[in-house]
Amino acid sequence: MEPKNSGDLTINGFGASNGGQFTNVILNGKGTVNSDIECDNFESNGTGSVKGNLHSKTAKISGNGKITGNIESSMLSIEGRGKIENNAIVNRLKVSGNTSIGGNLKCEEMKVKGRITVGGNCETDLFKGECYFSIGGLLNADRVDVKLFGECSAQEIGGQTIVVRQKTSIMANLFKPFFQTFLETDLIEGDHIEIESTKAKIVRGNNIKIGPNCKIGLVEYSGTFTQDKSAIVDESRKI
Amino acid sequence: MNEDLISKKDLLELAGISYGQLYRWKRKDLIPEEWFVRKSTFTGQETFFPKDKILERINKIQTMKENLSLDELADMFSPNLTDLTLEKDELIKRNIVSSDVIHFYLENDKGDLQFDLTRMLEVFILEKLLQSGDISLEEGKMLMQVLKDNTGLIKQKSCELVMVRKLGISTCLLLVNAEAAHFENGTKVIAQLSLLTCMEEIRAKLL
Repeated sequence: MEPKNSGDLTINGFGASNGGQFTNVILNGKGTVNSDIECDNFESNGTGSVKGNLHSKTAKISGNGKITGNIESSMLSIEGRGKIENNAIVNRLKVSGNTSIGGNLKCEEMKVKGRITVGGNCETDLFKGECYFSIGGLLNADRVDVKLFGECSAQEIGGQTIVVRQKTSIMANLFKPFFQTFLETDLIEGDHIEIESTKAKIVRGNNIKIGPNCKIGLVEYSGTFTQDKSAIVDESRKI
Repeated sequence: MNEDLISKKDLLELAGISYGQLYRWKRKDLIPEEWFVRKSTFTGQETFFPKDKILERINKIQTMKENLSLDELADMFSPNLTDLTLEKDELIKRNIVSSDVIHFYLENDKGDLQFDLTRMLEVFILEKLLQSGDISLEEGKMLMQVLKDNTGLIKQKSCELVMVRKLGISTCLLLVNAEAAHFENGTKVIAQLSLLTCMEEIRAKLL
């Protein structure tokens, strides 16, 4: 990748480009890039779309952005609505708004406010969110720290520290009859687990704390285990 | 699937590692995805691993992780030839090759003193066969030629190197993804080496 001497691509208003290598790419308005793009900085404001792969150092999508291929970027921030139809490899991901990733997501640190959908696996060191999330495969993180805002789901969750809390506010209590906030998953495995409002078939780990509104099939623990009064645990075993 | 399998729970206990570590290593690709075997059991889905492979790998990770970062370790275990290069002296120090053989190699190769994995493999095989006395120096040159001409193949496929001799005339061939090879009567198979195995041996020495 040698985009050093390449120029900038700017689309203001309505326009299309064929992609290529650039230093800065700025799409304002309705810009379309028709093939792969490599650049240092990518910015899309309004309705931007890339029909191909995006490879950049930093990428920022504000408004409505769509990438039909893969994205590889050390920094990706999405404000508004972002859609990546394939895999995403990102060091730092910041989402405020709604993001969907069709394939796998791999990153080091992700902070999500809003909603995120990942079709495949989600692998990250830190997953921090106040969000809705839905992950088709495995959520694998050193530290999962989420506040649930709606119906969240993941096939499996594995990691070191997993903390799931329910969002509590007047608004949430007000809408409780309409919106159920809970997390649904088959399996949670971690060293330190603290969960609330979670439906899981199996929870395994060292130190497990089951908070209110949980419905767990089986808990296996090697260290400590505490359970809230309102939680339902069918079976628990010390191993 | 006749390998011995070990469940995740037993593995953690046996190896003395935590869920966090296991998941972290999985995330860093230190443990290949295909080793995670899912099976239904009476408690639901469970994950199993091929026992020997995973225990060996964990052992390596644990002994190595003090000196190398997880990313460097991931490079070590990746099946591709990575961009690791070593100096000639380093190779001798790490016991991959003896100084006699490396001088012979350099005389014929005339390359520089930096060895990437491809060249390391060549020199390692040469070392093996020359030191065991199976081949002569002249045959060693032939061997080098074969390996050099087929570098691309070696990278991608499972390759086997065969050296045969009949009536004092020797030849050398590479079998790519072959199941077996049969030779004429009276042909002596001097050496048969799997390049993948050699690669692993080198990696083990690098670790």
